[in-house]
Amino acid sequence: MDANTLLLITVVVTALAFDFTNGFHDTANAMATSIATGALSPKIAVALSGALNFIGAFLSLSVAATIAKGIVDGSSITLTVVFAGLLGGIVWNLLTWYFGLPSSSSHALIGGVVGAAFIAGGADAVLVDGLISKVLIPALLAPVVAIGIATAGTYAVYRLTNGISDRHRDTGFRIGQIGTASLVSLAHGTNDAQKTMGIITLALIANKTQGQDDGTPFWVIFACATAIALGTYIGGWRVIRTLGKGLVEITPPQGFAAEGSSTAVILASTHFGFPLSTTQVCTGSIIGSGVGKRLAQVRWGLFGRMAAAWVVTLPAAAAVGAVAYAVANGIGGTTGVAVVFVLGLIFIGGIYQLSRKAPVDHTNVNAEWTGSVAPEPVPAGV
Amino acid sequence: MDKYIDASALGQVLLASIIGGVGLVALFALGLRGLSAAQEGGRSSGYVVAGGSFAVVLAGIGLGLYAILAA
Repeated sequence: MDANTLLLITVVVTALAFDFTNGFHDTANAMATSIATGALSPKIAVALSGALNFIGAFLSLSVAATIAKGIVDGSSITLTVVFAGLLGGIVWNLLTWYFGLPSSSSHALIGGVVGAAFIAGGADAVLVDGLISKVLIPALLAPVVAIGIATAGTYAVYRLTNGISDRHRDTGFRIGQIGTASLVSLAHGTNDAQKTMGIITLALIANKTQGQDDGTPFWVIFACATAIALGTYIGGWRVIRTLGKGLVEITPPQGFAAEGSSTAVILASTHFGFPLSTTQVCTGSIIGSGVGKRLAQVRWGLFGRMAAAWVVTLPAAAAVGAVAYAVANGIGGTTGVAVVFVLGLIFIGGIYQLSRKAPVDHTNVNAEWTGSVAPEPVPAGV
Repeated sequence: MDKYIDASALGQVLLASIIGGVGLVALFALGLRGLSAAQEGGRSSGYVVAGGSFAVVLAGIGLGLYAILAA
């Protein structure tokens, strides 16, 4: 096996790993509200979301073999830059997952690539205008739009159903929640799996394994669909807990309105070509559902921490991408990439070990929110 | 500002989001209200309201999905 093939395989594996982290990071977007209200049991929720993400990935037909288009100059993008960028995205995804903070996987990936390209090609490689119009401004607009829509929707829902008994209302909206949560999962599958498909296709073209216009091979689509579905099924319970219990104490009508708002905004943004982060929209919708219901409580402090994490996403991922590229390039060739790959594995192992100290899983995801992601353990003998 | 924001696309997103995220959501709630009026209140017109509302919601979802997938 020659060095180039090894490099290509490493990039593909890393891309699929990123896809996997994208999966478990975003399960919460679709399912947190349904799990919190009991509309779906935790395991069924993640299984449903996984299946729909898998299907959705096959439905996305237009895969663009580009990455950070309009944000990073195309000529700066080499396989090593792509690898370092993916690593930046993975590291940030894992860090935010550990702290239970929802975060945009797309922005993390773009950040990683920007950082790596900056080291590789200098400041000229980064197109600041593109950064502002495709990342910064959407990041400001997404939560605002989502909060607005969800607030209006939640208000309308409560006004229209105030005559109904609580039990009937909750049952009805729980059923509705299954519908809207499923739609968000489907939309996520069509949207997000494309990112990784595009990257792998780009890597194949760069390695001259296939031509520019050959389209995306079926195995790439299948692998990416599987990776994101598996990640979704593993379920980022920590993030699910934060979104479902930490931000707002969600009731079925709120959950329905929140996911309904998310579905509408996400599908609209994809269709009209104004990309908004799925995570930021879903988080905004949940907040809106808290604002729209009289006497509901929104933990604004927690949202403040999330917003801070969103602002930091791009630079933080860029920093990791930059370092990863510098080290890989410094050592040189495929060896450099292999070394950084192993370092990445060590980091992943470390974060996983840390998370096992106070684990969150399907058994305690709905426990009372006491201010931290991992719920306080119930003392023995109580 | 023009080079940073595609105002027309944003406007379309807002409009579609309001129709779907507020309109269809409210219609579903209306459907539940109709169901409740029929089942608990005994007014069978509630079933008509419910049926109509849910049908429009489903149609709206179908339309939205089609618009995305056919693109």
